[in-house]
Amino acid sequence: MSARGRHIATVAGKRFLFGLWYARFGLASASARRAAFARQTRFACEELGPAFIKLGQLASVRPDIFSAEAVFELERLQDSVPPVPIERIRRAIHGEFGQDADALFDEFEDVPVASASIAQVHRARLKAAYRPVFGAPMAAGTAIAIKVVRPGATDDIRSDIELAHRWLRWIPRFGLLARIDLEAFLGEFEVTLRSETDLRNEGRVAERFAFDVRDDELVLVPRVVWTRTTRRVLTMEFVEGWRLTELTDAERDGVDARALAIHGADVFMRQVLVLGRYHADLHPANLFVTPDSRICYLDFGIVGITLPAQRIAIAQVLAATVYGDADRAVRYSRELGLEIPTSQEAAVRDRVAALMNRTLRRPGQRADVRGFAIGFLSMLADFKIAVPVGYGLLIKALVTVEGVAQAIYPDIDITQTARPFATRLIAQEMLRPGRINAKAPEMLRAAMRVLSE
Amino acid sequence: MDNDHFMRFMASWALVHETADEGWKAAVERGSAQIEGDMAVGPEAFVDGLSAMIAEEKERLKASLASDQVEPSGSRADVAGHLDLLTFEVSELRGRLESMQASLDALLDQSDDSGK
Ligand SMILES: Nc1ncnc2c1ncn2[C@@H]1O[C@H](COP(=O)(O)OP(=O)(O)O)[C@@H](O)[C@H]1O
Repeated sequence: MSARGRHIATVAGKRFLFGLWYARFGLASASARRAAFARQTRFACEELGPAFIKLGQLASVRPDIFSAEAVFELERLQDSVPPVPIERIRRAIHGEFGQDADALFDEFEDVPVASASIAQVHRARLKAAYRPVFGAPMAAGTAIAIKVVRPGATDDIRSDIELAHRWLRWIPRFGLLARIDLEAFLGEFEVTLRSETDLRNEGRVAERFAFDVRDDELVLVPRVVWTRTTRRVLTMEFVEGWRLTELTDAERDGVDARALAIHGADVFMRQVLVLGRYHADLHPANLFVTPDSRICYLDFGIVGITLPAQRIAIAQVLAATVYGDADRAVRYSRELGLEIPTSQEAAVRDRVAALMNRTLRRPGQRADVRGFAIGFLSMLADFKIAVPVGYGLLIKALVTVEGVAQAIYPDIDITQTARPFATRLIAQEMLRPGRINAKAPEMLRAAMRVLSE
Repeated sequence: MDNDHFMRFMASWALVHETADEGWKAAVERGSAQIEGDMAVGPEAFVDGLSAMIAEEKERLKASLASDQVEPSGSRADVAGHLDLLTFEVSELRGRLESMQASLDALLDQSDDSGK
């Protein structure tokens, strides 16, 4: 075994033993056991570096494959690693543009703003004015953020994945994780990784999003400077503000936190339910609040897609959730591909209703969507009901909305703000605007006829 | 679709299906009888309330159709929407070219270096 292989095995082994200890050697409840192992898995990922951090992040948006406990634990992975020495960053920039950072940018700062598993971000100023693809022109001297892929990051991650592939061939022999197609998950991971290490993709997705929400003045998307962007370097407008994860009360006082929290939730639901393109790895750390009370979106790594036919069912499930209507939730979950055997339907509905009472309809307390989601997913696991990919993403999305909104305004009850949205979409379904849309001119003609009769 | 559009589509739907749907009529009736705040009680109540609002919009639409002041439906807004999208896409292409030019410059620079 290679040195790296030994290191991974040691960390995994240690974490497994810790997990056993915290799981009271199997005496704890199933859910507590899963939670104990999930936590140790997170620590192991953080210890093992970029490939595992990314892998964990990807796992955290896949409740269709991993347990609810794992998903919600891995979401907390800290993506922050020691910075790459500045000479290597400068060399990487030179390699991409054939010019030095100082020739390309003004006031390039050697100390990074942030250093994550895939990329490191440096601050500088624009040398010349630039007209962005979307948004107002940027003057010379505008503060910019330069995101540079860590030199070697891709190679390191690749070789870790190779190792994982080799190990995976052993796992089925021990009968572990039978339900999980880990090979397929790894394959998917490689695809995601390839797209994430080509920063031009991120720039494009960001601009698409900026265009999608162009009528929304409260949302800020950094403008991309394409003349200073290549596969490994993404240059964009520098956004001043606070990450949601580090927002303090003083800062909350300075902005309209409550309105912003509601708006953030609205934007997200609009993405899922109307635009059909949404941030699948939305995370409080990827969102900024600016001093002028706007929400800024950073990091467009994983984009989820919802099809029109799904959106209506999603809206129904959403409405069922925010109104605590177990019957509706079960009915429309079926439409989204959740296969509940008829013999179990009543039992499932009872469990959902009890769960809703415990988490969503607590008298005098705000709803706990996260608690509901975890309970719901473990209920499905108990009944051995498989979770379709899109459905898993939806549940995660709901929880994300809650997390983001509460990071801005801790007292917010997300089910209250989701109501108008969900109900509007139900009404839409009832009246089938899709059909009306296609037929509008014809209908207006018909209307004219009726009126002139 | 923004709210106005939504209401208009709904209204035109209602206009055409006026006699067809008893459920809809009942919803409008229940909705009109609601007092403020009732609509937030639950999904059914909301739909009722919305139905009533659409019915009102329908009456307005009827009036404006009768007074012959309507534009040919949506066409101008549609064109504007398409124009926006096309402008954006052309601009997006420019962005791609700029980025490719930057990479090309780097390659040219390298081949200069190796030629020396
Ligand atoms: N445009 C920007 N303006 C200001 N800070 C930025 C900008 N882009 C990135 N950052 C900083 O860099 C951090 C990491 O950026 P991000 O795009 O999330 O990288 P990664 O995809 O590697 O996680 C952000 O959390 C933020 O602190």
